[in-house]
Amino acid sequence: MLNEERIKLMTKMASYEANEGKRNMAIGNYFRGDYISVQVIKSIIHATIAFFIVFALFVFYDLELLMADIYKMDLLDLGKTIIIYYLVFVVIYAVISYVVYAYRYAKARKSLKIYYNNLKKLAYLYDKESKRYE
Amino acid sequence: MTNLLVLREQMKKIYSRYEAYITPTLKFLLAFISLSMINNVIGYMSSLNNMAVVLILALMCSFLPMNLTIVISAVVTLAHLYAFSLECAVVALAIFLLLFILYFRFSPKDTIVVLLTPLCFGLKIPYVIPLAMGLVGTPVSAVSVACGVIVYYVITYMSKSAAALNAFDADGMVQKFRYIIDGVIGNREMMVTLVAFAATIIVVYFIRRLSVDYAWTIAMITGTLFNILCMLLGDLLYSTNVSVLGLIFGSIVSVFLVKVLQFFVFNVDYSRTEMVQFEDDEYYYYVKAVPKNTVAAPEKRVKTIRVPDKAVNHPRKDVRR
Repeated sequence: MLNEERIKLMTKMASYEANEGKRNMAIGNYFRGDYISVQVIKSIIHATIAFFIVFALFVFYDLELLMADIYKMDLLDLGKTIIIYYLVFVVIYAVISYVVYAYRYAKARKSLKIYYNNLKKLAYLYDKESKRYE
Repeated sequence: MTNLLVLREQMKKIYSRYEAYITPTLKFLLAFISLSMINNVIGYMSSLNNMAVVLILALMCSFLPMNLTIVISAVVTLAHLYAFSLECAVVALAIFLLLFILYFRFSPKDTIVVLLTPLCFGLKIPYVIPLAMGLVGTPVSAVSVACGVIVYYVITYMSKSAAALNAFDADGMVQKFRYIIDGVIGNREMMVTLVAFAATIIVVYFIRRLSVDYAWTIAMITGTLFNILCMLLGDLLYSTNVSVLGLIFGSIVSVFLVKVLQFFVFNVDYSRTEMVQFEDDEYYYYVKAVPKNTVAAPEKRVKTIRVPDKAVNHPRKDVRR
């Protein structure tokens, strides 16, 4: 039988599933630690790429100077400085992304909780209806 | 005022009914205007600087997700710059990549601001952006707007220094490159605008969140004044040559525009018709959910509750139900 209350609930839930729910469910499939670590690793990869872009720009900018001085420079020292810069940059970026994704995970969980409650309610409505017709 | 409210309700009704056509049209217009503007400013690649190409790309954008409009605009910009000079294209590509890699993976929804900010600069109403983003966004939007400001100034700088860049001989690739980077980093006007906009967004955001009457309007006006102040201060400190008249006039126009936007867009719930489908054991459901448009603004009623003197003087201690 068609039940108006049930259809309303289902419509609401279907609309949630199609819109913001899609993303939240993808997040909700992970455990908290897994989700955040995957995202932070992605962030680190992105930060590395970004660092290389900046580094390449820097090298190209100072190409002439670099070429002229390359035999005079203490390359080990330069390498150390670069690595320190890199680490500082990546760590800051990773911390920011940790905070962002931890917040997102909590938000998605909260939103999914409401959805699961609705599912329970729906099951209850079906249950009630099937009992009525028995 | 009543007429305006009625107009707004009608707009809502029209939108919820014809949403399927209105959204693509708006997207088309956005893409069309942005692409035409890019062609106008840096239309060096003649094969792209062509009405037919712009129309086709804009049509594509009207059906594709919003973020692809930005990608397409970025690609067109890069293509034009490449046709002009390889060094410019490389710098622009690096900047775009950095923006996308570092920032926009966090907030893909804000990406559109990067397109809208240069667009508003082109339309001479840049001050709309910090006000509007402060009103609808979060303090994080400051970063998005900053990205937009950077993109605008970088491209403008490249188009302005075209003559200077052409003067370099063909071998001077590194010199050209240095010239561009120096120009981009040493662009004080960009820095001042960037800081002013970011600060304005934060100011507007915090004021509009206050629980006072007319918080939005106060936020708008304070934000505008704050923005003017920042820009003038920047001018004083770094002599950026901001045209004071343009700043004040542009700000006034911006406040007005944002007020209009607030009335018609920001506070209004343009809920749209939704088509959803699902099934259970017995049926397939194809539901079209049309939002109800209820105008009824709640009337204020004052109800005085008078406590009888007796009750105050002789409180009954044991009240049982």
